[in-house]
Amino acid sequence: MFGISKTEDGRISMSGRLDAAQVERAREVFDLIQTSCDVDFEELAYISSAGLGLLFATQKRLVDAGEGLRLINLNPHIREVFQIAGFDNVFEIA
Amino acid sequence: MIAKRSFAKSLGSLDGVFDFLQEFTDEEAIAEKYVFAINLVVEELFTNMVKYSGGADHQIAISIDKNDHQVMLQLTDFDSDPFDPESVSAVDVSAPIEQRQPGGLGLHIVRTLVDDLEYELDERKLTISVRKSLEN
Repeated sequence: MFGISKTEDGRISMSGRLDAAQVERAREVFDLIQTSCDVDFEELAYISSAGLGLLFATQKRLVDAGEGLRLINLNPHIREVFQIAGFDNVFEIA
Repeated sequence: MIAKRSFAKSLGSLDGVFDFLQEFTDEEAIAEKYVFAINLVVEELFTNMVKYSGGADHQIAISIDKNDHQVMLQLTDFDSDPFDPESVSAVDVSAPIEQRQPGGLGLHIVRTLVDDLEYELDERKLTISVRKSLEN
C-alpha cells in the first residue's frame, strides 16, 4: 500500500511502499511541484529505484530553476539506499 | 527450506512477489535489514525482466533458499530477449547533479547489495542467480 498527500503548508508526505507499480501515483504529485518543499518520509517503509528515479528527475528540474527538495525523516534502510545511489550530494537530507 | 513461486510478467505482480518473500523471511526469521535488501534486489531484477525482455505472456519464476550464512535467490524468465549485464554502463554516483541523468540505478543498487550475481541465457531462458550474505 502506498500513499501520498500534500499538507496545507506545502509539504509532501508519503507512506507505505513506493515500488515500481506505484511510482505513477507519486509522479502525479511530484510533477506538479514548482518550488522548494519538504518531502516527509516518516511513514514510508520502502523505496526502490523507480521512486529514486522520480525523486531525482524532480530534483534536477527544480535545481535548474533555483529550487530544490529537502527530504526529512528517512528510515535507516532508505537512508542506506540513498547513500548507495549517491543522493547525499543530490538532496538536502535532514 | 527452498520456496518457489511463479508470477505473471507484470508490474502488477509485485504485491504478490513481496508477499511471497515476506512469507519466507518470516518463516526463516531473517533480520529486517536483510529483508529490506532482499525485497529491493528482487524488485529490481523482476522489473528489469518485465520492462526489458520480451514474451509478456510468460511467467517469471522466483526461488529463494537460505543456509546459515547466506540467502540464495534465483529469478527465471522463460522467454527473454538476449541481455548482457556487462553492457549496462556503471552509474557515477559521485557526479554532481548537473552531470547525472535519471536511470541506471537499479542494477547499481543490486550490484552493491549482493555478494554474487550471475546471468545465464539458454536460448530464450534467462536465469539470474544471486547470493546475499547474512553476515555483514
